[in-house]
Amino acid sequence: MSRSIWKGPFVDGYLVKKAEKVRAGGRSEVIKTWSRRSTVLPQFVGLIFGVHNGHKHIPVNISEDMIGHKLGEFAPTRTFQGHGGDKKSVKGK
Amino acid sequence: MSQPKQKRIVLAHVASAHGIRGDVVVRTHTGDPAALGDYGPLSDVSGSRQFEITQLRVTAKGVVVRFKGIVDRNAAEALRGIELYVARSALPPPAEGEYYHVDLIGLRAVGPDGENLGRVVAVPNFGAGEMLEIAPQQGKETVYVPFTDAFVPTVDIAGGRVVVIMPEMVGDPEPAGPGEDRDGPSDERE
Repeated sequence: MSRSIWKGPFVDGYLVKKAEKVRAGGRSEVIKTWSRRSTVLPQFVGLIFGVHNGHKHIPVNISEDMIGHKLGEFAPTRTFQGHGGDKKSVKGK
Repeated sequence: MSQPKQKRIVLAHVASAHGIRGDVVVRTHTGDPAALGDYGPLSDVSGSRQFEITQLRVTAKGVVVRFKGIVDRNAAEALRGIELYVARSALPPPAEGEYYHVDLIGLRAVGPDGENLGRVVAVPNFGAGEMLEIAPQQGKETVYVPFTDAFVPTVDIAGGRVVVIMPEMVGDPEPAGPGEDRDGPSDERE
């Protein structure tokens, strides 16, 4: 069963405070968090969270497409690394 | 004088034989599985044996390939486990601002003032943008750096280095869980 709409998205209050503090600072810092359960809110877009995966903090660059997802979805707790093959990466702005 | 050994990359490995006509199922490491046949003949790890693809189809089981000269199941089974390589030079040049993972992996990571930070060991993307995974020299834990202009201002593949500005992590420890007011995550609690 999905979450009731009247409750709104769940997000830890302390995470919102941290995000506001960093946004006010205006520097490109990574916000360390253990709150994998928090939902990505529109006011997080453009920030970078370091989401703990049980081992270390994974930088998660928040974009508009990620709104409504949980932070933990972008910091896998198990990783498999294959071969590079012909895969390419584009450097972000 | 001998020529420097050309860089080769592994594009796939043979997983199993498929059917009785010499087809094999391969596990590809290419972005698009069907791109396996785009780079010319493949070779084994030693480079002595060439494999020319005559048929390729993408199925639910994986990519099913038929190689020239492999006509029965016994010959196909003999290929099981073989890694299929191609010369790095066979890949087309990347577009502006694009980098092949094979080119990035192994580059030396240096700070803006030239200090050695380690080596790039992987280019993961967990759904929140590309990152460089950097292994420090002293064998410490690897660190992830967002692959953006802000954190990786320079990529010098010819020079074998990337300039990396290590991200500054900020933020106090957080309460452990609902209704609890202890400081810090579980592994940092007293």
